[in-house]
Amino acid sequence: MQTLESSSVDLVEAKDSATALLPDFTTELYKDAYSRINAIVIEGEQEAHDNYMAIASLLPDQEEELKKLARMELSHMRGFTACGRNLGVKADMDFSKKFFSPLHNNFQEAFSKDKLPTCFLIQAILIEAFAISAYHIYIPVSDPFARKITEGVVQDEYLHLNYGQEWLKANFETCKDELIEANKVNLPLIRSMLEQVSKDAAVLHMEKEDLIEDFLIAYQEALTDIGFNTREIARMAASALIG
Amino acid sequence: MFGLIGHSTNFGDAKRKALELGYDHIADGDLDVWCSAPPQLVEHVTVTSAVGKTIEGAYIDSCFVPEMLSRFKTARRKVLNAMELAQKKGINITALGGFTSIIFENFNLLQHKHVRNTTLQWERFTTGNTHTAWVICRQLEINAPMVGIDLKKARVAVIGATGDIGSAICRWLNNRTEVGELLLVARQQKPLLELQNQLGSGQVMSLEDALPQADAVIWVASMPKTLQIDPNCLQRPCLMIDGGYPKNLDSKFSGDGIHILKGGIVEFFKDIGWNMMQLAEMERPHRQMFACFAEAMILEFEECHTNFSWGRNNITLEKMDFIGEASVRHGFSTLNLKNQIQAAMA
Repeated sequence: MQTLESSSVDLVEAKDSATALLPDFTTELYKDAYSRINAIVIEGEQEAHDNYMAIASLLPDQEEELKKLARMELSHMRGFTACGRNLGVKADMDFSKKFFSPLHNNFQEAFSKDKLPTCFLIQAILIEAFAISAYHIYIPVSDPFARKITEGVVQDEYLHLNYGQEWLKANFETCKDELIEANKVNLPLIRSMLEQVSKDAAVLHMEKEDLIEDFLIAYQEALTDIGFNTREIARMAASALIG
Repeated sequence: MFGLIGHSTNFGDAKRKALELGYDHIADGDLDVWCSAPPQLVEHVTVTSAVGKTIEGAYIDSCFVPEMLSRFKTARRKVLNAMELAQKKGINITALGGFTSIIFENFNLLQHKHVRNTTLQWERFTTGNTHTAWVICRQLEINAPMVGIDLKKARVAVIGATGDIGSAICRWLNNRTEVGELLLVARQQKPLLELQNQLGSGQVMSLEDALPQADAVIWVASMPKTLQIDPNCLQRPCLMIDGGYPKNLDSKFSGDGIHILKGGIVEFFKDIGWNMMQLAEMERPHRQMFACFAEAMILEFEECHTNFSWGRNNITLEKMDFIGEASVRHGFSTLNLKNQIQAAMA
């Protein structure tokens, strides 16, 4: 195909974008935004630990494996805590607890009713997809210390995602309806969380548009693997796109 | 399996298509929603060639629309994410259609080999430019005599002569045909002079000077938006081959003796059970397609799993011979003026 008429302009823009990629990690603006983003990540890993421990109690035969995963999440949490310390930032944990509370409450409610598919959808699919997509976008714009920590975490997160997927895949026929319902209730919460975090994320050079698309890619991949067809996924994912 | 990465020609079409495919919630979304929409594998297809070889293929819509061109990061992400999806689906060879290859080339996406946890394998992708260049050359050779142009005496202007497709066309016409004279037109003078030197022939000209002299014009660069051409100054007959994207020459030129042919389009010898080419506004969408898409099919038919067309100015005459011979053997023919008229009347 032929070249763009506007190619010269676009290439200038591309170069500018490449050189202006990294934010200044030392500004008050950056640190202020980082205090909330860092807190979200720390709280997210804590939630993951608690949720896997809860799921372990519902699946006694896989208790050891799930507890191992839970411990891994705690080590991630410690890594991210160190990232904040490294930049001299105090994580705003009050903010992050509030940030996670709707999803936290939905998980607790599902857990209290032994609704394992819903628990897995919230933790192993939604939260993990949210985390992975955010980490992927964060890595290229992170400070060197946080970059190393986050790259290590991403590898682990893929293991977790697969774990939940495998269980849901094996039990797809019996849990499909519950998953569709759980998606309807919980996916809008993820969308709202993305909205809440978008201003601070932009200060860290993480664009909302990127976060949403990458989240949807991870989420759709997981749903495909579990057994949903393209149309079902399109319908299920729509509420993440339409705010 | 072969793959095609494409997109709708404009935002309105994209929304209509999404509605048809059952993506009704997304169809209602504004451009910002589409900017965040992930690529979709929308169709699988099975194709049997004229020599009886059967292959499987898939069409991936990148959810890019030309209205996103001004958003550099969005356009880049759309292309890379669609390529990642093609690779993850295990597709052997995927053509980058429409603006996809233009974005890849102009935004230098070669430096973005890593997409999340995927390392893109370039050998799985092709721009399809070799086949496009070969098809446009054949369209000139077949159609010029049909409108009364004797190529041996003709002046053929190539607009965008230094681009990947343009330079291949110039080399082919120079070596494989007896075209009277090539008029070489491009924005930058230095590569033009280098091309002229390599060819050992051809006149370097401005667009304004070339058009009134040309019996045939091959457009493989987009037309300057501000360009105003008086059709009365053009030769009669004049064959214009619209090899650019999107194809909009017919809105700029018309008149007796001016023949406009959609360039770089091929027709398969029988219907293919897909809906994907309606997205590309083909007149006979069950048979016609961009030559770049057909290149992926041909490479799959030939089990030639390599990035056959890649980078800039790597298209050799031998590669054009190979893809052209395989194209004909597997049942593709070039779109000609006669097909175009028949399709318009149907």
